[in-house]
Amino acid sequence: MSIDRRQFLAGSVALLASPALAADRAELCRGALIDWHRLVLELVRHTATYSPPVASRAFAYVGIIAHECHVGLVPGPVTLAGQVHGLEPLPAPAPGLDPAAVLDAALGKAMVDFFGNTGPSGQGAMQAMARKLAGEIDRDLAPEIAAASRAHGLAIADHVWAWSQSDGGAVVENLGFPYDYTFGEDPSDWVPTSDIRIQQAPLLPNWGTNRTFAMPEAAACTVPAHPAFSTEPGTAFYEAAREVYDVSKTLTDEQKIIARFWSDDPMLSPTPPGHWVSIILQIAERDRLPAERTAAALAVNGIAVADAFIACWREKYIYNLIRPVTYIKRHIDPKWETLLITPPFPEYPSGHSVQSGAAEVALTAIFGENFAFEDATHEDDGLPVRRFANFREAAEEAAISRLYGGIHYRFACDEGLVQGRCIGAHAARLRTFA
Amino acid sequence: MRGAIAVLCSVALPALADPAVPAFIDETATSGLSTVYEGDWDYMVGGGVASFDCSGDGFPELFLSGGAGPSALYLNRSTPGGPLSFAKTEALTMDAVLGAYPLDIDSDGVMDLVVLRQGPNRLLRGLGDCKFGDATEAWGFDGGDAWSTAFAAIWEKGRDWPTIAIGNYIDRAAEDFPWGSCTDNWLHRPEGRSFAPPIPLTPSFCALSMLFTDWNRSGQWALRVSNDREYYKGGQEQLWHLDPGQPPRLYTEAEGWKRLRIWGMGIAAADVNRDGYQDYFLTSMADNKLQFLKDPASGKPDYADLAFKSGVTAHRPYTGDDLRPSTAWHPQFADVNNDGRLDIFVAKGNVAKMPDFAERDPNNLLLGTADGPFVEAGDRAGVASMGIGRGAQVVDLNLDGLLDIVVVNRWTPAEVWRQTGESAGNWVQVRLAQDGTNRDAIGALVEIRRGEAIERHEIASGGGHVSGSVGWLHFGLGEATSAEMRVIWPDGSEDPWLTLPAGSFQILRPGKPAEAWSPG
Repeated sequence: MSIDRRQFLAGSVALLASPALAADRAELCRGALIDWHRLVLELVRHTATYSPPVASRAFAYVGIIAHECHVGLVPGPVTLAGQVHGLEPLPAPAPGLDPAAVLDAALGKAMVDFFGNTGPSGQGAMQAMARKLAGEIDRDLAPEIAAASRAHGLAIADHVWAWSQSDGGAVVENLGFPYDYTFGEDPSDWVPTSDIRIQQAPLLPNWGTNRTFAMPEAAACTVPAHPAFSTEPGTAFYEAAREVYDVSKTLTDEQKIIARFWSDDPMLSPTPPGHWVSIILQIAERDRLPAERTAAALAVNGIAVADAFIACWREKYIYNLIRPVTYIKRHIDPKWETLLITPPFPEYPSGHSVQSGAAEVALTAIFGENFAFEDATHEDDGLPVRRFANFREAAEEAAISRLYGGIHYRFACDEGLVQGRCIGAHAARLRTFA
Repeated sequence: MRGAIAVLCSVALPALADPAVPAFIDETATSGLSTVYEGDWDYMVGGGVASFDCSGDGFPELFLSGGAGPSALYLNRSTPGGPLSFAKTEALTMDAVLGAYPLDIDSDGVMDLVVLRQGPNRLLRGLGDCKFGDATEAWGFDGGDAWSTAFAAIWEKGRDWPTIAIGNYIDRAAEDFPWGSCTDNWLHRPEGRSFAPPIPLTPSFCALSMLFTDWNRSGQWALRVSNDREYYKGGQEQLWHLDPGQPPRLYTEAEGWKRLRIWGMGIAAADVNRDGYQDYFLTSMADNKLQFLKDPASGKPDYADLAFKSGVTAHRPYTGDDLRPSTAWHPQFADVNNDGRLDIFVAKGNVAKMPDFAERDPNNLLLGTADGPFVEAGDRAGVASMGIGRGAQVVDLNLDGLLDIVVVNRWTPAEVWRQTGESAGNWVQVRLAQDGTNRDAIGALVEIRRGEAIERHEIASGGGHVSGSVGWLHFGLGEATSAEMRVIWPDGSEDPWLTLPAGSFQILRPGKPAEAWSPG
């Protein structure tokens, strides 16, 4: 689902038209969850710090906040405290609080906390969303209930925010690119792939040391060594690069669409982790999922994907592998150009593949095998809706898209999916409902 | 890549010698300029300055946009080589002005002004003696009701009335959710001696700069549009065909146009590598772009970005203690130090309070060199203001042959710097004048011989960041004591090569000898 203005306004009108009777409180809660997350996807796109790893972290915390807002207020949800690393028990709700007001206050605070560095348009949008939702949600609430509910929501957001500050990823300078960096000198080592000055050092080289959420540690799921680097034709490595080159010369229109559909470039899309959030929101709307179910899915998926970026980044900087664009220009065709822009960090494994494998396992655990869905994430950007029979199919397409784009060797896609599924299994084991 | 890039690669070698750094003194306090570009969210872009002579003395006046505050026209009271001095008038005190461009629309020899606004744009007809009257309706111009942020104009072949392109930004009513709300750009073509209803240039992607350019030397002007990726969806930089009598149409990937998505804020064009084709500097956030046509013979508008190799990414402050990425607005090529090499000035400033980007973001003065990349000299030259810059003009305000600089700032007064001291080289300034339509010869080409090479200048109306000039065209000459120059007029007629003495002002008319002119 693309977060366009038309849909935003349509959603707003729908909420305004809803009679705020007690029976509709759940609908208000559902609407607030969707609307705030629509805004999150937009803020990620328009806040320069939010490269994919940084975005994955924010999605995880916002998802956890949304989930914890329901704990103790509606039947079923159980806390993630004690299940994810470092999360202490959250404030317990007093009886009689309104879940919609709790959720709205918590997510509004989370926006300010996690997206305080967005630009003037993002700041204005956050304030406008807060005004709109508060007006709708509090309209038929007793003032003391509204106030107590909002206080509880703020307490949950504050609790999670405080927890987040110690994970190693709270401070991102220079958009994530280190001011100083020592490059490897081996012919297999990564080197910058663009002439963008700020990208002459790789993105977030220490991200792999961040605290994980559900997996025991970043090293709990690793990738095997890639084929031995070689420039000799006939070797596995050369042939892997040759495949990237050959595929680029014979791309079908469908393969080009697939490459662009999953490209999810930062600052031009909700990023790869946001793409999976978008999928969840589309399912939630299609199936009219209760807010607590959607929130749990956002939390678990967010955790899986955030862990995926941590573990993947650990591997990337262990292997520090040269990108296809560099290898091919050096050894096959100096004039070669990729379909997509190569991201500014080492190649192995493929980040898209790792995070998609993790999302696949997490979402399959929640929604089941052979759960079909449509994905209109990039409809506003001119890319068609794609249809998937299940999450595995989507994840595999996301992975192979990087080969089509000239970004990754096939082995980085394949092994990335395997690593991601390992990571996703840890998240899938989290208990979110009694 | 062929010759065009090969020449530039030679430019990218280490510098053999630093270029001469021009010296500027800040005369803001004594100049008489006092306009502030004011306003909140709906004035976060814009803030332009127009430079043109409306008094007939040859000295350029300045029109400064005031955003939510009043704009103002300042009469130039400077003397040749003297301190910069301006007298504020009440002639053009308008509200909601984002920028303006001078253009003699009705070709009566008196400069008119196109004013871009939050709300209806206005065409102001010059009445002489720096008086203006609103001719918007009389000229059939639909000013619309948008957030207008870009402009370009050209006389299409055979027309005696200009074609004007207006770029528009986001829907200003969409403050709560502005993303994806880019409004249509417009193409105002002539209908006799007035304007036809505007043609929407759809798709539109929140344009912040436009420029007509004959990118392939076909004699057919095309429209480049630089767009702000912050707000569009599915957008990119654009190049429009503008074939006579045909609807505008976009260049496509099949024609060689490559998708580029930046925070496009300003376009400047010049023949940097002296291959006869225009090169383009595009401002953005963090890295800026310097584009060179890869292969002119291919006929494809496929450009290489050589900003990094040319030392002009200007991606973060080069002085001060703020290392966050920069935000660049108005770019302009000019030979600021008169050494015969083109330099680049860039006005810088945070959008508002974007913590990911530098809040103390100095303007750039990137000096061209003979043998290496450009060299940053803004701080040494004295123009590294930390004001929140937007539009600007690099123009000789006191007609001494040394270029001066004026920058419009958000929330603080515009700044002006006078260049002083010894010039590093000689100069010549020319003004194009022709009878009939298009008096200022917009769309002409001026060629100047630089040793074995010829540097080709397109005389355009548009580009930059909501800022433009009509008037003296300045050329640095280095040690040369004369300039070899010729004009190709908008109708395609080619004048013979002229030898113009250094240190002079010359008026050039089609088929006639150069006419010397002196200020004062």
